[in-house]
Amino acid sequence: MLDFNLNLSDNADASELYDLIIIGGGPAGLTAGLYAARYKLKTLMLEKSFISGGQLTSTEWVENYPGFPERVLGQKLAQDMEKQARHFGLRIITEMVKSVELTGSVKKIHTDYGTWQSKTVLICTGSSSRKLGIDDEDLYTGRGISYCATCDGPLYPDKVVAVIGGGNSAFEEAIFLSKYASKVYIVHRSESFRADKILQDRVVANDKIELVTNAEIDHIDFADDEHRKLYLIDRKTNEMFKLDIDGIFVFIGNIPNTSIFDGQIELEKGYIVTDRTHKTNQEGVWAAGDVQAKALRQVATAVGDGACAAFWINKYVDEWQDIESLSPAKGTLDA
Amino acid sequence: MPVLNNEVLSEVQKILGSMTKPVVLKYFSQPFECGYCKDTHELLNDLVSVNDKLSIEVYQFDKDTNQVQSSGIELIPAISVELKVDDSTSTDYGIKFYGIPAGYEFSSLLNAILMVSTGVIKLTTETKAFLNNLSKPVQLKVFVSPTCPYCPPAVMLAHQFAFYSKMVKADMVEITEYPHLANKYSVQGVPRTVINEKWYLEGAAPEVMLVQKIKEAL
Repeated sequence: MLDFNLNLSDNADASELYDLIIIGGGPAGLTAGLYAARYKLKTLMLEKSFISGGQLTSTEWVENYPGFPERVLGQKLAQDMEKQARHFGLRIITEMVKSVELTGSVKKIHTDYGTWQSKTVLICTGSSSRKLGIDDEDLYTGRGISYCATCDGPLYPDKVVAVIGGGNSAFEEAIFLSKYASKVYIVHRSESFRADKILQDRVVANDKIELVTNAEIDHIDFADDEHRKLYLIDRKTNEMFKLDIDGIFVFIGNIPNTSIFDGQIELEKGYIVTDRTHKTNQEGVWAAGDVQAKALRQVATAVGDGACAAFWINKYVDEWQDIESLSPAKGTLDA
Repeated sequence: MPVLNNEVLSEVQKILGSMTKPVVLKYFSQPFECGYCKDTHELLNDLVSVNDKLSIEVYQFDKDTNQVQSSGIELIPAISVELKVDDSTSTDYGIKFYGIPAGYEFSSLLNAILMVSTGVIKLTTETKAFLNNLSKPVQLKVFVSPTCPYCPPAVMLAHQFAFYSKMVKADMVEITEYPHLANKYSVQGVPRTVINEKWYLEGAAPEVMLVQKIKEAL
């Protein structure tokens, strides 16, 4: 059965002053967008990708989001969240934010194509895949090294691949890849895994998947396209050994997308520090979802963050005043 | 038989409602050795059924050799999105789709139709200046898979370049339908943009990176 997805950027007026601009359209942003649109806030979402959903779109199945007893496709869930928010009037613009000016009562958001202005800003920029940090990683990205199984899995039919990581993502994507590849290694630094027990059981029961534990990546040799090699160090014996593979899929956690906010907002290990109302240390600026400094990063927690932030933003917008243009200039006072 | 369900079709109708000038989809097909020709044809029939400004012209790859040559068609199924000037003429910008534009690429097709019809594009002044000064031809091939959410931006960007500049031609190539091309261009990750058969760009790169790569290729 063929699928046909429709996602086109909306149009919006850049000369308007928005009540709320949401940066990033993952589950947190889309939920905040849904709530804000229902509060009738003049809301705009800026999303760098052409489809909303953030990291949801690069996962195959979501099994721990309530309300879907039969599990749901990540891309489908993302699409439905977007559809629901748009239904209530959220407008989504496909533009990547280059820089922000968050001080003052009118916030300015700069993209390649112009500047957007808003009374409040909600940061939902999430996080990106962490890289391995080995030599030649950039050189072979897209040519043997991938961070998205749903994108590139179909390009490895009957091939041998190695999944790096020991968490839920690594296990879920290994199961997905086993539909295409003839063999999937899961390479992990330690003997125990962070992946949920249910996923571990499934991996153990899958004939195509082999666990390689206590193994640290030393280097890769992809020079010969036909004979790619992954060199690992056995952490118990300190001996090097190699795996003959065709590709590597990396799922070793994430790093927050906060570089454009550095210096304007309080960060903790790169993540944004918020209070109980999801407000940052900058007046008029909130953050929600994976980008926040917090313990658990899930779709289920992100949507709660987004809803809560929208609630407090709505209260704030009600009482918002353009302080700079209200107060008389200093010179006038002195006179 | 329609391939789009009613829900998608009514959304398509709404989106195509903003078309201004007429657009013709030149469709190249073949009754044999083409896994997705039938589905692609039905998809295009679905599209033209919801908007009068959109029409389809069907050509046979093995028989209509003149049209195949003048459009520069290399594979089937192929779609060329052109501005309809009158009943016998249309403007070919070099905007092509090889393979069925299903999955996420369906948006790329609608985006191309709207762009050709309305003339609206979103490129920075720097990019436009660069394209205005192009003196050598540029051929962009964007390799995609239908399940790749990062692919349409690369396709849409390449198609915008083709629409804006006469020197640029841009193809979407759905790689799972042409395994021999995956080998030839060593595509192991999508999107992958190939510039003039030789230079590569991985991922959904921003405008400035594509411009930079084209500069290197020339």
